[in-house]
This record gives sequence, structure tokens and C-alpha cells, in this order.
Amino acid sequence: MDQLVDDFAARRPSGLEQVYALWSRLLFSVARHAIADSARAEDCVHDALLRVWRAPNRFAGNRAMLKAYLVTCVRNESLAMLRSEGRRDARELKAARLAPVSSVDPPVVDPVETQRLQDALRRLPEEQRTALTLAYYGNKTHVEIAQALNVPLGTIKSRISMAMRKLQTELASAEGSRS
Amino acid sequence: MTEHLGENAELYPLGLLDDDAARDIERHIALCSACAERVAQAQSVAASLAAALPVASPSPALERRLRESARPRLGAAKARASIFRFALAAAIALIFLGLGWQTLVLQQRLKAEDVALVTIVHSHFNHVSMAPESANPVAAKILYARDGSWIYIIADKPGGSLRAIAETATGTIDLGVLTSTGKTASLLVHPRERITSIVLQRADTNVASAKLAY
Repeated sequence: MDQLVDDFAARRPSGLEQVYALWSRLLFSVARHAIADSARAEDCVHDALLRVWRAPNRFAGNRAMLKAYLVTCVRNESLAMLRSEGRRDARELKAARLAPVSSVDPPVVDPVETQRLQDALRRLPEEQRTALTLAYYGNKTHVEIAQALNVPLGTIKSRISMAMRKLQTELASAEGSRS
Repeated sequence: MTEHLGENAELYPLGLLDDDAARDIERHIALCSACAERVAQAQSVAASLAAALPVASPSPALERRLRESARPRLGAAKARASIFRFALAAAIALIFLGLGWQTLVLQQRLKAEDVALVTIVHSHFNHVSMAPESANPVAAKILYARDGSWIYIIADKPGGSLRAIAETATGTIDLGVLTSTGKTASLLVHPRERITSIVLQRADTNVASAKLAY
């Protein structure tokens, strides 16, 4: 078993420290994308990380799965905070308009992975890409997306779900050809 | 089990579900491996989507806060570990003190009760009511492991100090005095030989007895 995963799952402080050293920028970037205020974004990372670390036997999987799980937890924590406060400031509205394919900001991870992602996003049908990017990069709820696009809610859920599954296939295929 | 998650498996990692729906997902995937796999794949995609996010670095204060938050639990864990090590050392000491006898007797009542309960929970055992003897008998019962590895004697209203004497294939063993609270008395022993019968004595008078069948 991966020592990092082992340490984290066993609630050893060293596991928490390793996770922080590896993914703090990624996790904070995820939180910061939803929460404009840095201090509150840090609160989200802090609370999500500690909750997962403290929960006994909450996680079982490999390192990549742990990373993905933590990203999910931080994102859910951040969006819950955002929605509980019921507001979006100028930065969040700006973020809502940004599509990743046109973003020129420096990426959180390595450029190869970013390029693979953007290629995969381009290959999605436009209606699926729009729904997914509004949801993820725009921090929109599926209800908001349905209203904005004047499309039934069930259709939006289906488009997002299909987009995610196609991306999974595309990224797995790209990973296979890379390795 | 409720029906499978369907499209919600992909919506959950994107943070599109409300708290109640998210909790439903977590409960479901704890029981359904197929949906857990589907959610894990969606989480992987969601993590990949973060690759295109603008980079941001937390302040050094966040790391300090996390260390601080983790520390009390670390302290508590160390304290628990210390207590455990102390208790283990005490138990080992008791065991070695008892090596001169043919049985290993734990007589500290609080510890003995815990040890007895744990032993019983993890064992297959038989039980037998002890037959009253003398004009002033005691009501007692014996729980014992089917493999003979432990024996737990419980007496109701002991009415004084009770001593347990056991018979084995090779002779008689003094198991010691039952630990009493006044209302009840008990004794857990781990005999080295298979015990075939037990007699309880009060002031050298037999007050109860039983044969053990394996």
C-alpha cells in the first residue's frame, strides 16, 4: 500500500502533512475558485482536510483516488459555503464566464495534463461542454444552468453526466497512450 | 438497498447536489460497490478539471492551523497509548506473578470485568449453574470456554469471602478468592489444565459445586 495513503487513512499527522505538502496548492485553488475571500477559502481547505483525516476508515483507495476524493470534499465544502451565504461577488461572476479552454492563467498542475484536459473538453459536444464548464468553472448549480440555457433540468443533468463519462474515457485513453 | 445513483454519481463530485442528496450518495456508495466505482471515476474526472483552474497558493498560516488542529488529537492519542502501555505492563506483571501457580488469576475487579467481557465476547462458551451445598449456599454460575482456556465464575450475594477450588485430571487447584462488590463476586481464570469441576467454599465450607462438560 502507498505509505502516504496508509498514513493518512491511519490518521497519522505525517499523513496529513504529506497530503498538505503535495496538494495544498491544488486544494486551495479549488476552494479559491469558488470563494473569493482567501481566508474563507483557507477555512474550507482546513475543515475539509481535517474532517476526512479524522474520519476513521473513511478512505480506501490509491493515491490518485485520495487526491480526487479530497478535491471533491474541498469543492463541496467551498460550494456549500458559497451557497449558504447566497452571494457571488465580482470575482465569482467573472469566474462563471471563464471557459477553461480560453483561460490563460497558469495551471495548477503540469502543462501536459492541462493540455490533455483541454483537448478532451474540445472533443465534447458543444451542449455538453457548455453545461459542464458552467457547472465546474462557473460554479453554477444545475438549476441555474437550466434556467440560463432555457433547457429542462433533467436535460442538463444528463448532459453533465454524459460529459463527465466521456471525459473519463478520453482522459483514460490519453493516459494510456502517454504511458 | 435503494436504487442506483444514476446521473447523480457524476453530479456529486461537481458539488451540484444539496447536503441531503450528498449524504444520500455517501450512504449509498458505502453499500454499493458498483456506484462507488462510478463515483470514484467521476471524482477522478472532477480532479482533472481542476487542472485548468487558475493557480492560487494558501498562506503559511493555513499549514500552521492544520498542525495546531491535528495536535490535540495527537496528544490524546499519545495519552491513550501511554495508558494502554501502562495497563498492558500491569497485566503482564500480574501474569508473571501468577506463573508460580498453576492458574493465571486476574483479581483486580475493574480490570477483570473488562478482561472477562472481552474474553467472553470473542469466545464460544458453555455455562452451568452451580448446585447449592450446605445450609447456607450461594447462587452461582460458571461460564467457561469450550476449549477450556478460561473460566468465569459469578456468584450472587456471596455472603462473605468465596474461594474457588478446582479439580483437574492431575489434582486439585486453588483458583483463589472471588473479587466481591458485596452484592456479587466474580473470578476469571485461565487454567493451564482442563478443569473438570469447581467447588466454592466460604470459611472452608463447600457452598456450591459444579461439573464442567466440554
